Amino acid sequence: MFDGKVRVVEKNGYQKQVMSIYRFINDRLYYNRPDIEIKGEPYNSTILFSLLTGLTGGKELIIGEPGLGKTTSAEFVCSLMYQFPLGVIWGSEVSGHPEQTEEKIIGRPDLGKLNRGEEDVVWTNFSQVPVKIVDEINRLPETKQSMILDGVDRGNWEYLNEMIINDEYCLFATANYQDGGTNTIIAPLVDRFDVIVESRYPGANLSFIIGKNRGKNHILRHPKYEKDLYRVLKSKVAYEKKIPKMEEICNAFGEHVRETAGVKPLKREDRDRIRAEMEGLDLDLDASAFTRMILSELSFCERYGQKRIVENCEEGCHYTGYLCRQIRNCASNRLPTSIKSFARGLAWFLGDSGIDIEHVTSVMPYTLSHRIQWKDEVLSQKERAKRDDPFQIFLAKEAVKAVLQRYREQSDHLKDALALGSKIFQGAPLEPPEGDHPIYAEIRKDIRYRMNHGERLGDADDPEPV
Amino acid sequence: MEDKRLQGLIEEMWPRLKKKHLYPELPIPKIVKASAPAEEEGEGNEGVGLEMKEKQMTLNPAFISSMKDKMTEENLIEALIDHGITHYTFCPWDFQTHLMIYAEAKKVMGDKESAKQATNYFIDVIADTHCVKKRATEIPELHRHLKKRKVDQVIASLYQRIWGIDLGVSFSNSDGKGSEEVVRRLARIPYLDRSRWPESIRKFARSLKPLLVAEQKEKESRGGQGESNPQGEHDLGHYSYEEIDQGLRDYAQKTMGLSEFKEVVEDFSPELKERGYGIEGGMGRGRGAPVDADVLFYMKLSENYSIPLKKVPLEKSGKLHPHSHSPWEIGAPFQDIDIWTSFGKIMPGMTQVWKKKEGKGRGKIEGAPDCLIVIDSSGSMINPRKNLSYAVLGAACATNAYLRNGSKVAVYNFSDAPMGGRDIVDYTENREEIYRVLCRYFGGGTALDLEEIMPLIKGKKELDLFIITDMKITNLETLIGFFGKIKNRITAVHIGENPYAARFEKAVEKRKNINIFKVKKKEDIPHIVLGSIREYFDVTRKTGD
Amino acid sequence: MTQNPFEEFQSFQYRKTSFPLDRIVHTAEAVMDRIRLGYEKLLEEEAKELVWMVQYNTIIKAYEVAEKYIKEIDYSAEDIEDFCFALENTQRIPYLIPGPAGIYISALCNDAREEEIVLKLSELKTEINLIGFRLPKGKRLMVEGDTGDFTGIGIEGGELVVEGNSKNWTGAGMRSGKICVKKNIGLHTGEWMMGGEIHVGGRVRGLGNIVDGKVYEREKLVYPGKARYPNVYY
Repeated sequence: MFDGKVRVVEKNGYQKQVMSIYRFINDRLYYNRPDIEIKGEPYNSTILFSLLTGLTGGKELIIGEPGLGKTTSAEFVCSLMYQFPLGVIWGSEVSGHPEQTEEKIIGRPDLGKLNRGEEDVVWTNFSQVPVKIVDEINRLPETKQSMILDGVDRGNWEYLNEMIINDEYCLFATANYQDGGTNTIIAPLVDRFDVIVESRYPGANLSFIIGKNRGKNHILRHPKYEKDLYRVLKSKVAYEKKIPKMEEICNAFGEHVRETAGVKPLKREDRDRIRAEMEGLDLDLDASAFTRMILSELSFCERYGQKRIVENCEEGCHYTGYLCRQIRNCASNRLPTSIKSFARGLAWFLGDSGIDIEHVTSVMPYTLSHRIQWKDEVLSQKERAKRDDPFQIFLAKEAVKAVLQRYREQSDHLKDALALGSKIFQGAPLEPPEGDHPIYAEIRKDIRYRMNHGERLGDADDPEPV
Repeated sequence: MEDKRLQGLIEEMWPRLKKKHLYPELPIPKIVKASAPAEEEGEGNEGVGLEMKEKQMTLNPAFISSMKDKMTEENLIEALIDHGITHYTFCPWDFQTHLMIYAEAKKVMGDKESAKQATNYFIDVIADTHCVKKRATEIPELHRHLKKRKVDQVIASLYQRIWGIDLGVSFSNSDGKGSEEVVRRLARIPYLDRSRWPESIRKFARSLKPLLVAEQKEKESRGGQGESNPQGEHDLGHYSYEEIDQGLRDYAQKTMGLSEFKEVVEDFSPELKERGYGIEGGMGRGRGAPVDADVLFYMKLSENYSIPLKKVPLEKSGKLHPHSHSPWEIGAPFQDIDIWTSFGKIMPGMTQVWKKKEGKGRGKIEGAPDCLIVIDSSGSMINPRKNLSYAVLGAACATNAYLRNGSKVAVYNFSDAPMGGRDIVDYTENREEIYRVLCRYFGGGTALDLEEIMPLIKGKKELDLFIITDMKITNLETLIGFFGKIKNRITAVHIGENPYAARFEKAVEKRKNINIFKVKKKEDIPHIVLGSIREYFDVTRKTGD
Repeated sequence: MTQNPFEEFQSFQYRKTSFPLDRIVHTAEAVMDRIRLGYEKLLEEEAKELVWMVQYNTIIKAYEVAEKYIKEIDYSAEDIEDFCFALENTQRIPYLIPGPAGIYISALCNDAREEEIVLKLSELKTEINLIGFRLPKGKRLMVEGDTGDFTGIGIEGGELVVEGNSKNWTGAGMRSGKICVKKNIGLHTGEWMMGGEIHVGGRVRGLGNIVDGKVYEREKLVYPGKARYPNVYY
């Protein structure tokens, strides 16, 4: 963990390279306005979070009105981050409709062999390429949504007792706003997305230019490499053997893009090194304490032990001023993982030496908004508020802002309480920390458990948890 | 040129200052020349150093220049920005807290101006103390060099005592004893304990009252020209429309007291109007319109209880259509097999069948119907302009629910209607107009004039009725008879238990279109009404989607 | 060994600087706790059923008990004022029984180290009875606001100034000293008064059976005088 000392991140110029990809997409491919400011610099959230999804191997849900570039933004990012020509990306996409089948998503039996009484699987492009795009995921039946997200969670794709393993992958899914004609993405599935962003209307002027520049797709197309990649994907060799061949073609395509467009896409080894650099970044104490604080507000219930969607807040509860009172469900364990992963990606992208509270607060609304189920009264109170963001993201931003206010007031006290918790945990005979916020109650719970069971646990020589 | 240099300096300092305060969401402060030049502020007065309007801090270059012999520019700018940020991050934090502090100060001070003064001093003391305690700041240095009037001297002496930093303040013998005593009292206030701010401001105002009153008199003798606070005034300019909206809503809910809300709103009425905050146009805004505090109170309070309704209910068409695939099993019917995805094979695990689902289609009802609200304002009901009327609040919540769904609302407010004691507003979307009639109070007898209601109902294909009364209606039988004839959905809320209510209940108990809510405690009204309306419109729940 | 969930904070050292405000507030709170405790003990001993009758012996006894608890506390005039407001806050002090509360406040004033005490009680919703009881010579007690019944009874040479009104039985049994009521005063004023002066800025609603001493109404001597009779409403 971050020990407070400033670490110098070993920079290999990848930040510059990724930034140039960001600029290239922003200037040439996906015209939109900046909508967030981080460390004083304006960014477009759709491109930024898509880049971070590609870098961290995450899962992103892009929402927006029809025709506002949800899928294309993801395609451009995938093409430049993974060096795949657009033609291959298009051929690997899964489009969401109710009739979609497992065979079209993962793989099908080799019919020739089947007729000969042999069993073999022909894997789909979707399951084989590392960049996975699902268009209009909300139109897929829930079983298919779940199948894709399961596959992406584990990196395994199974069909007829055969399996391929992706060692590198990311997922981009798009969805229109919920209306009568589409299915919904159910809460347990939506929780699996790390972030949600909106592909917004770029404004009348930029929209006008988009209409003019129709040929921008050609920049990232190359028929020969596309055919080559298709050939490799279709070939009947083991998946593991296809990967180096694909990389070879991808590198050639990447070189072509560098020469023709002046932007250098990321090679496999670049991505690996970037991820290794990211691994070296830890949350500083403020970022960690703040994240714990918001997690406690999203999961705490004094009366029932934790938030549960089936239980309602009681009248007269002491903790009425916190988020737990405003929401229905409990934060999942995937939430902190998403927060840390994207904050780490952002800190790396900005060239910072650690993950600070601004990185965390910048990514948090996008990791939270689809996971929180607000109570009706909160929705109705705020639905008419002036805002720029979609309602869910707006509510999440407001929530983060409110908790940050609370954190500012008691940051030292909270860090002190956590330090005290650590000391008590290690056996120091100290009094548990006091404080009104749910996080203090959570610290006390952890300590109490340790105090009650400490000796037994400590003396048992249990193996370190893995 | 000079301004550019100072702006550059701020830009250089801003990332560090933001980090120091844990990244508040504030735009970078700007250097802007103050509208009134420093010379006009009076001899030796440096004018306002910092102003904050809708979260945008502006620093006055004239002030910075006037202080250059006393402090370095960097330190001065840092102190001013620290002060501004702490107002945002700690006190007052939001408009509701500002109103609460002011309302408590007013209880002690009695008059508006000195209550505002006490509020401003209190907010400043809290912000600066918080900053000095929690962060490395140049605020003490700033206070050391600011020119001080009597009250400022007392406040600076208070700082000396509670910060433990020498600011070079000492009292002369003539009034030293009195001032020392004030400082001693002020120093005992737990400024940093937010939960105790209401009692703290009262104590603060009580202790400072004689000095503030004297200052106020002095100001009046100068024709109302006071010296400006170099750290900026705390007026409504700090807040955006949305913050004011939210603040009023929260304050109405917190106080639940009409008179308190009214008093505060009326005190701020000129500023609210200046900020374009009338109550015209349904959104609570409109330049030049008078601020009717009663109406505003019910508007803001009812927003806390507003109901989310589905505008376009969906009705299932009942037809089945292929929706998704599932594996075929031996024994399962053949007719749903999808031969394409089964590759022509009938083989368990390979053959797939279509799973069919009931389709959805748009139903007949597009949104919610209009609503006629019938409200009783007879003598047995609470006067909504004097006390919190839960009847009006309930009707206000219903109004919001219908308006939100694009429906129109008409109001029939009655007391002794045949004698002229009634007010009617025809179907409208104008929230203000509806609220004005809802808040009307006659206080006479209770009789309905159905002939007046009929035109509001006739010709409306879809219409909901919402009646709120204590049922002590002299022509109750006529009303029961009338309700027996119509098929509209009726929500009837009656307050308290009485024989009339029981009679009404018995008479209409078999009518499915009438929902009755008995209210034993008046506090129940908003909740029960809301629950009912929610059931009414939550089509998904009804259809079991 | 179980995972320490706070491990990263192990080395965090919060530089707790001593902030004078915290010290002052903490000290004041501690004093207030002790004053409150004394009051609660007084109630326990003297008003067990939360009923207390104003009688000569109950007042004397309650005062002695109050003095006993006060002796152990180091407090200032501001603490007394804070206690008066705390009495109205039911969360902090559950019972405000006007009699014992007044006796206790009087004992606090009489025993305070300051010679002059100012109590700013104008926002207090309750008028405290028995305030100024046995105020000794050399002490000056100024009350901003109104006081209740039995104000300044048994004053022993001190000076009591009430900026507002005071109710019935003011100055009863006073021996020496001075009571100034800036506004109006109730019935039985100066009942069994043995000496000293009562000055009233407004109206005196009724005089008691005065043994000795002087009563002034708007600077005019009304006792001793011809036209005044005990408790005559005029």
